[in-house]
Amino acid sequence: MNDSSWSIFVVLLVLLSFILVGLRQKSRESHEYGFGGRYTGRIGGGAAIASNWMSAASLMGLAGIIYLRGYQGLAYVIGWTGGYVLLLVLLASQIRRFGKFTTPEFVGERYGSPAARLMAAVIAIAISVIYCVAQFKGIGLIFAFMFDIGYEQGVTYGALAVVSYLVISGALGVPRNQQLQYLVICVAFIVPLMWLAKKLGYFWLLPQFGYGRALTDLAREFRIDFTLPFAGDSLFEWCALCFTLMVGTGGLPHVLSRFYTVPNVRDARWSVVWGLFFIALIYWSAPAFAVFGRLLEARHGIVFAPETARAAADVIALKTALMAGLPGWLVGVLAAGALSAAFFTVAGLLMTGAASISHDLYYSFVNPKASERARMQVAKGGTLVLAALVLLVAMNPPGLIAEITAVAFALAGNTIFPLFLLGIWWDRANRYGAIAGMVTGVLCTVAAPLLGGILPGVASYFPVTASALCGAPLVICVMIAVSLATPAPPEEMRRFLEQEVHGHLD
Amino acid sequence: MSRPEKSHKVNLFRPKEGHMRDEVHIILALLFGWGVCTFGFQFLVYACRGTGAGSLLTRLTLFNLPLHFWFTGQFLPLWFIVLCVIFNIYVDRISEYHSRRRDRSYE
Repeated sequence: MNDSSWSIFVVLLVLLSFILVGLRQKSRESHEYGFGGRYTGRIGGGAAIASNWMSAASLMGLAGIIYLRGYQGLAYVIGWTGGYVLLLVLLASQIRRFGKFTTPEFVGERYGSPAARLMAAVIAIAISVIYCVAQFKGIGLIFAFMFDIGYEQGVTYGALAVVSYLVISGALGVPRNQQLQYLVICVAFIVPLMWLAKKLGYFWLLPQFGYGRALTDLAREFRIDFTLPFAGDSLFEWCALCFTLMVGTGGLPHVLSRFYTVPNVRDARWSVVWGLFFIALIYWSAPAFAVFGRLLEARHGIVFAPETARAAADVIALKTALMAGLPGWLVGVLAAGALSAAFFTVAGLLMTGAASISHDLYYSFVNPKASERARMQVAKGGTLVLAALVLLVAMNPPGLIAEITAVAFALAGNTIFPLFLLGIWWDRANRYGAIAGMVTGVLCTVAAPLLGGILPGVASYFPVTASALCGAPLVICVMIAVSLATPAPPEEMRRFLEQEVHGHLD
Repeated sequence: MSRPEKSHKVNLFRPKEGHMRDEVHIILALLFGWGVCTFGFQFLVYACRGTGAGSLLTRLTLFNLPLHFWFTGQFLPLWFIVLCVIFNIYVDRISEYHSRRRDRSYE
């Protein structure tokens, strides 16, 4: 077998084994599954958080952006780990005590407004769609890489594969085993990296540290200084990007709803720590791929024009593995890990997005008398519509995987994070504030592409991928001002906040 | 429990007595540690560019990585984990304390 058929074989094997393992578990203990998986303690909860988080952005995009932009790319590493601190200290236990599972439900209940709920639902779906576009790009690139076809074909086949996976696992009712997913994704990312480090002659037991020597070699042999801080970009851009990704993490709907899979608040908190550790394990490793990639290119005397480098960046991990002459099956393992991460993220997001269309839009607004069956039909149709929409945008992807994902984070950080933050920590925030805040947040997110041409200043304060450094505080101010200018929320909700959410131990 | 004449107030910067006040203290302390190390360090690197201290930050190496690269790429994720552990241990303690005070078994 040649290299690419090896990788196709490994990828198929991995996806099939997930379905088989899921089915086996289902027949054994079908009653134990709750919302999103079985409870397996704090470490298991952490693995579930990490596997829910891992996507093409972490496994492909991160290495790509660091390969391309060096130190600037580290803003993604910090943003995507530091966000969990915000989430844990400000929101995790409180939203759990609040007891609403999804973002639209929380907004509808807290602000007591169907209109705010509808807006939150639409925004949450928009975030999922943008997030999925980045995943589709990753899937398309891997398919194009494995089958040696063009990107458009790759992304079309990838979309077909995702939809058939959804249909098969939905029809069979396969539960997601997120602990196993994390294990597979993590091993599939780190073992090839260790092999790579060994092959290049660096410290391979912990390639997370071993790549330091490669960085030194890169600077000494080829005068490429990968680590120069704020070379092409300003301090503001770095901080804005980092902050945006952090507040975005605290506002991503599918991340927020994770805290309900654990039986009590204490375990929920501790599983965040484990989750962050498991995420960091991958994030410590991603720069190594970027550095090894640069080094190999330099050694082979390959110098890419900026445009070509940009096109190659998102598959740099796979390209590096190939260039170093890793065995075909191992390249397949690397591809399989990234592909399954993207697959499960897309599957989860499309399903929750479609459920939201069916419940929050169709059932709550269009047809409140809809039968269970009709809602199910809408959800199924919704999955296909969302998948088609994502495919359409992904055909001509607007940026790198990490950049597209960052836009989803900016939208979440500008809209949903302030809603939760003030909703939990300030009883006076009311529905008018919430609606004004969401409108402002959406405007901040789209300001640069829409108004950047007319008002260049706007684009520099609200960069597309990093609009939340100025955006989120602005939204919070707008929410406070509008809330204070309008009547206070019902006393009942304020009492609930004081006595249940913040007063459970009084 | 609340007295009838008192209206219900929840404010991060004016927490009520008891568990919430303790919790808010640790939250603000951690957010400070989170912000200073993340953004403060970048300011430092930026402000020291071209000076002796700046070249110290970028020339000194740890695990063969320049100090600033190591700090941002490897230490900060670890620091976030440490912050979360501190938070959890502290909140476990204050929850236990306030549960006892309330004479209720710990949740």
